[in-house]
Amino acid sequence: MDLALKLEGVTKRFGSFTAVDELSLTVPKGCIYGFLGQNGAGKTTTIRMVMSIFHQDEGTISVLGHADAAEVKDRLGYLPEEKGLYKKMQTAEIVAYFGKLKGMDTATANLKARELLTRYGLGEWLDKKCEAMSKGMGQKVQILGTIIHEPDLVILDEPFSGLDPVNRDVMRDTIVQMKRDGRTVIFSTHVMEQAEQLCDRMMMIHKGQLAFEGTLPEIKAGRDHGIQIDYDGDGDLLKQLPGLNRINDNNKAAELFLQPDTDPQDALRWLLDHLTIRRFDIREPSLHEVFVRTVEERDAARVDGNGGAN
Amino acid sequence: MANKTYLIAQREYLENVRTKTFWLGILAFPAIFAIAIGIGWLMNATKKTQTYTVADFTESEIGGEIEDAAQATILLDIIQNEMEKALPEEHPALEQLRNVEPGMIEAFRGMLPDNFRDALEAKVAERKAKYRYDDLETLGVAGLPREDLITALNEQVKDGRLFGYFVFENDPVEELEGSLSFVSENTNDSDLSSWYGRAGTRVIQKKRIAAAQIRPSVAKHIREPVSFTAEKPGEGDQTEKVDSADRARSFAPVVFVYLLWIAIFTAAQMLLTNTVEEKSNRIIEVLLSSCSPGQLMAGKIFGIGATGLTMVVSWAVFGVIGMSLGAEVVPQIGELNMLGIASDPLYLASFIGYFFTGYLLFAAMLVAIGSVCNSLKEAQNLLQPVFLLLMIPLFAMVPVVQEPNGLMAKVFTYIPLYTPFAMMNRASGPPPTWEYVVTTVIILMSVWFAFRAAGKIFRVGILMTGNPPKLKEILGWLRQS
Repeated sequence: MDLALKLEGVTKRFGSFTAVDELSLTVPKGCIYGFLGQNGAGKTTTIRMVMSIFHQDEGTISVLGHADAAEVKDRLGYLPEEKGLYKKMQTAEIVAYFGKLKGMDTATANLKARELLTRYGLGEWLDKKCEAMSKGMGQKVQILGTIIHEPDLVILDEPFSGLDPVNRDVMRDTIVQMKRDGRTVIFSTHVMEQAEQLCDRMMMIHKGQLAFEGTLPEIKAGRDHGIQIDYDGDGDLLKQLPGLNRINDNNKAAELFLQPDTDPQDALRWLLDHLTIRRFDIREPSLHEVFVRTVEERDAARVDGNGGAN
Repeated sequence: MANKTYLIAQREYLENVRTKTFWLGILAFPAIFAIAIGIGWLMNATKKTQTYTVADFTESEIGGEIEDAAQATILLDIIQNEMEKALPEEHPALEQLRNVEPGMIEAFRGMLPDNFRDALEAKVAERKAKYRYDDLETLGVAGLPREDLITALNEQVKDGRLFGYFVFENDPVEELEGSLSFVSENTNDSDLSSWYGRAGTRVIQKKRIAAAQIRPSVAKHIREPVSFTAEKPGEGDQTEKVDSADRARSFAPVVFVYLLWIAIFTAAQMLLTNTVEEKSNRIIEVLLSSCSPGQLMAGKIFGIGATGLTMVVSWAVFGVIGMSLGAEVVPQIGELNMLGIASDPLYLASFIGYFFTGYLLFAAMLVAIGSVCNSLKEAQNLLQPVFLLLMIPLFAMVPVVQEPNGLMAKVFTYIPLYTPFAMMNRASGPPPTWEYVVTTVIILMSVWFAFRAAGKIFRVGILMTGNPPKLKEILGWLRQS
């Protein structure tokens, strides 16, 4: 398999704090890959090491087949989590500037910047200063600056945060289109539904260590099936469901997990007696559930194992 | 790779140079000069006419004589005044001027070229408008007994009718002590009384010489001041006269050092502000995904260095224009040959060379500081010691120029942070060639070390958020390879 990215035993420490702990990972070319994890789990540190902004203390990182990521910097595109633009620069200018920094010549970069901005509905803003733009528009300008040089590997740190639904769709379409053009896209997110819908493969990092990795079915395999319901009524009643193990209650919908010996049919009957049920579905757990369970399990293991790594 | 440094430098440069505030800032410098001069002129031009009178209680009525002499010597006084402003206090020419007879000046007046005479006449008219003599009759106090006269004049001074009055108690020709006084509410503006004092001196000296029956030519001979003409060693047993261009040449370094200081200070501060802003803007990470921290740092430093140079060059252009305009109006400015000095390749090349090396040293320091600060406020605290360091060359400027090859000058020369200032300062010496060579080596090495150290701090600091690191941590980064 052709790999876009390969990490082997990568460790990064900041003083006494280990941000990334022996992380090994492979990302095949041409897929959309999700980086999941809590705040501070080590996603951004990992991404920064891949972009050779930081250097790992141990382990090896190979990007697009090169052992030194600095060699292929011009073939990478990176949208950091914290997004900023030069306020005083014109939009076309700044997009072209990012292109030029990636090795494009001035004429091509200028032309491409104007073409991209026009295509993404910012034609009127070409010669206007960035400071006048809304947050969503600014983010669009940034993603265009990230992809102007047609990178082979694009890494987006939280690309959806702060975007309205319309702009989320634009971002989603951009990501899908890049994959279809044969590029590899890695993005990190906290929104599990997005990862579930978009990613071919994903990984979760927890406290610097790899928690799971694979395709969605691979990740969900072996996990308890849950009951997904849409309901109206007093959600507090759900907690009294006999044989209930865990619940993810969203007020109008909920995901229920029963104890192994409980019959889902009994649960359905009980639910119908107490609430208005609009949908009842037994299926594999949501990614959200897998994520939350993984955090719980790993933290419990940490306590049990006396803080030992596992 | 260097291409990316160039791209970053180019962007920094254009972003600064394109803004209106940048050019306003450049204009502000000569504008402040012009305003400072303009305000002085305006204050003078709008000064109220100072009306004065003379209360003469002497039997010889010398007061009237002095008043006549004062009016007759306005022209001479203007010349004396101007010379006093232009020359150092002990200058021999001043003493010689004091011996010039008003009559000689009047004759001299006819010999002046037209444009110069017109300028003088204008000054005379201006002076006449400045001080007005009203006699006692005009003031309505003539013929009053002594006590009543003083009371009346005091009243007039208090209500503003008079600026002040001169009192001649006894004849000063015999005894000066306690004879003369000037009564005014304004004790700060002494122009009127010192002008009157000069006129009085002339009259009294003349009278005393006459009383002693000394011939005026003898008196002049006796009063002749001693002065040494300034010369410098020439070929063999020859010596050459020092002209005003020579004097300007030896003080030119002060101007250059001051310009150098302002340029370095401004550019380095621009760099700091820019680094802190970019860090808080979070653009840094995008840039670092495209280039190395070293390229980013170098690009910033060079881009803003070029901005600083643009500023200095613009000022130089203003200076040249101002100087040539000034030379049209006042021939002395042309005589100083400042343009000749400024276009001297030694000054020009060393100025640009020292600007860059000096700037690079301070820039390395400030970019490192900027990279560890999250806000300008944080940066300000860290900056204070740096600015104190930067103040020292300003204080040392005049002593060094007076003794360009003295001990203090030499000590400053070998402190890398001050080398550019000190060498520029000593250019009037000028220092021996070997010192130019040694200091060049020292400063280039210092720049290299400063860049390496700054690079290490910048690399880590620029991505840090939260509390700024402690000095111990920063030293730790420096030790890492």
